[in-house]
Amino acid sequence: MAGVVLETLSWKKLIALGILLLLLLLSFFLIGGLVAPNPSNVMVVLGTKCLRKGSHMQEEWFIPFGGNEKCDSINSVDEDRVYDEGISANQIVFSFWLPYMRDGKQLDFSRWQQMLLTVMQLDIQYDPKFPMVKGNQYNCSLLAFFELGSLHYDYYLINVRVPVEPYKGINMEIGSLMDIWVIGIHQNGGFTKVWVSIKTAMFPIVLAVLIWFWRRIMMLTRPPNLLERTLFSLGIAMSLLNLPLEWLTLAVDMPFMLMINDIRQGIFYAMLLCFWIIFAGEHIMDQVERNRLKHYWKHLAAVIFGCSCLFIFELSERGVRLTNPFFSIWITDVGTKLALSFIILAGIAACSYFLFLCYMIFQVFRNISAKRTTLPSMSSARRKFYLGVIYRFKFLMISTLFCAALTVCFFIISQLNEGQWKFMDQDLNLEYTSAFFTGVFGMWNVYVIGLLCMYAPSHKNKPMETDETSNEEEVQLTHLPSETSSVQAFAAKAAAD
Amino acid sequence: MIKLKKCLDLQVVIILIWVLQSFVVNAMDMWWNLGVVGGAEVWRNQKVYILGAQPMCSQLKGLSLGQTKLCQMYHDHMPSIGRGAQLGIRECQYQFRFRRWNCTIIQGDSSVFGPVIEIASREASFTHAISAAGVVHAISRSCREGELASCGCSRALRPKDLDRDWIWGGCGDNIEYGYRFARAFVDVREREKNHPRHSAELSRMMMNLHNNEAGRRSVYNYAKVACKCHGVSGSCSLKTCWQQLPTFREIGDRLKERYDGAVESKFNKRGTKLVRKYKKYNKPTKEDLVYLDESPDYCVVNPKTGSLGTVGRECNKGSDGMDGCNLMCCGRGYNTFKRKLVERCNCRFVWCCQVKCKTCESIVDIHVCK
Repeated sequence: MAGVVLETLSWKKLIALGILLLLLLLSFFLIGGLVAPNPSNVMVVLGTKCLRKGSHMQEEWFIPFGGNEKCDSINSVDEDRVYDEGISANQIVFSFWLPYMRDGKQLDFSRWQQMLLTVMQLDIQYDPKFPMVKGNQYNCSLLAFFELGSLHYDYYLINVRVPVEPYKGINMEIGSLMDIWVIGIHQNGGFTKVWVSIKTAMFPIVLAVLIWFWRRIMMLTRPPNLLERTLFSLGIAMSLLNLPLEWLTLAVDMPFMLMINDIRQGIFYAMLLCFWIIFAGEHIMDQVERNRLKHYWKHLAAVIFGCSCLFIFELSERGVRLTNPFFSIWITDVGTKLALSFIILAGIAACSYFLFLCYMIFQVFRNISAKRTTLPSMSSARRKFYLGVIYRFKFLMISTLFCAALTVCFFIISQLNEGQWKFMDQDLNLEYTSAFFTGVFGMWNVYVIGLLCMYAPSHKNKPMETDETSNEEEVQLTHLPSETSSVQAFAAKAAAD
Repeated sequence: MIKLKKCLDLQVVIILIWVLQSFVVNAMDMWWNLGVVGGAEVWRNQKVYILGAQPMCSQLKGLSLGQTKLCQMYHDHMPSIGRGAQLGIRECQYQFRFRRWNCTIIQGDSSVFGPVIEIASREASFTHAISAAGVVHAISRSCREGELASCGCSRALRPKDLDRDWIWGGCGDNIEYGYRFARAFVDVREREKNHPRHSAELSRMMMNLHNNEAGRRSVYNYAKVACKCHGVSGSCSLKTCWQQLPTFREIGDRLKERYDGAVESKFNKRGTKLVRKYKKYNKPTKEDLVYLDESPDYCVVNPKTGSLGTVGRECNKGSDGMDGCNLMCCGRGYNTFKRKLVERCNCRFVWCCQVKCKTCESIVDIHVCK
């Protein structure tokens, strides 16, 4: 293994680079917290109960408000008019217009708002025939309604009918349905703007660093080793995630964007997990010659298996929604079981992955401490080699742990923040959830940039010895640990005797 | 000539008095009137509506000067306020159906509940709170229906006009708008006059303001927060929450609890603020109800306090509670009648309308206070 930039960099430069990256990281959090609004917002719409007349087979749309187009509506299903005119359940249509009026103005959706997810809430009046809870309304749980991956149009009109079929028993004993609420969740345009700007800014930067990294490797006389290739793929996955495809949604209807984003994110995290395994494996410092993918098949299989489980789950939820936005895998029993089994399998894969990873890191640390004891007796070149390996490993370990801890902390903060509702809190200006998203996104960008810079092969201070001698030394070195351990074992045995 | 001039003078005076009368609102005229049948009916009449809000708002009974102004500015809110008042009155009658005072509406009285509310009692505090809560509830609901023109949008700091506001950060929730409008509308009648320190009017004003606030908060604070996860693959990495309006029965139940634990108050030494009368009780929070005077005796008819008495009220023979015949009839005893009860039964249950039922008849004993 040749030296990397990290080892040859002076402390001054390293600190300067570290501070630069930290500042970049901080600015990501601040952009999210101060500039961007909350990632998504909600709109609660109460259905207007329109009356339909004429034949039931007629296809007809009912508009809840407006001048002449407004449908004939009733305020409540138990008002006098319903009894006087003999209105039947089949004549009532719940009509929703998204988005509704505000401040005397008819709002329209913007394509910046990216997606619309709706949930339905039914208000069912308490009936003494079905005593479940006291009170005048049942406490019904929410129903998933539909999900649109793109907000291409300005308005959406929703008509809901609850037709009654007495002979088939459809919609017969659901209780007295007073109201239907539709809760629409959309991404905020401001958040999209900030998010896309970050992506647009980061994409060329990461790409430039990636090209620089690859050129350095190409300049070497030897072919790139496994670690370098993995790092390069990690950079590609990051660039893929950075690619600001969202610009296209402003012009083209792309309902598959939600899925593409999920998949891009999945690829990146899978790559990151693979990278950690390979990095740890390449730093074990035992005599096994790795540098080949097939040595890691167990670990990588866990990652790939877990990810493909999640991918199938994604396809069967968001994928099906591309053709039927009302679909949800969770509504049928079989679907729920299927979805749960995929998630559990992915969870098992994740657990086994982490066990592998922990075991590998444990091996590395054991070998490091074994090496430490023998360091003084080594030749200077050898010592330098091992010190380099240990230093590289520790640096990555610390920075990864730092990133992971930051992610977890921010995730907890934003989750805690979300559940509470603040009443007329004027002075609160920090959006934790946005800060979490931009911050974590920026953090992995910084992480990847840092890795590509630090772990690129160095040109300075090339070892004096030729490759052959260093190889020779490596071979010699590999015998050392086993010898010492046998000596130690012997000593221990002697002591026990 | 002289005679004629006198005549004219008289006419002027009469007109003046008439004008004054139409502006000076009786202290106990209440906007709750809008909730009584016929109170807000004016609004249903489309012809009058076209004429404009101005004459309409002065026709409505029970509005104070400031409320009339608000009515003119936000005339589309008035049906919601009427619904809110109605909600409050109905809920009050439900909560107090087993009490000696049962929230009776006195027909033709512009204060709705009659002179009994003039006493700064627990009952008065409850009526103020529940009707304020009714307005918050009704306005928030109408907002969500897209019915009102002025329901606000987000209070985002950056963009200033509505369209950009909406695209940038979406619109905020409507319960807050309901709260704000109710605060403006309900409290304005209390704030119209200045009262000297230590005066009974000031103490009553402060009591009403406090109870109105308690009522409004009961809607806001008991709104349930519901959340939906919609992160990567629908995971909870991204969660959006919103408020569900509590049902008005829940609000009524909470306020009834507050009524039971209402705090008796008096002026502080400077005569500017209300403090609790007995130090052994907890300080009233913003959600607690406060009252100043003990309730009058509701057992017997008393034109002075406005109590209607419990003669003729139905009571429950087996109960030990307030609805029991012993307590309800204040020991005067009761008469028992037989009544034929016609009920709908064996109903075929469809979610709306067309409920086909049989009618079942049964004979029950009714106990009525002497």
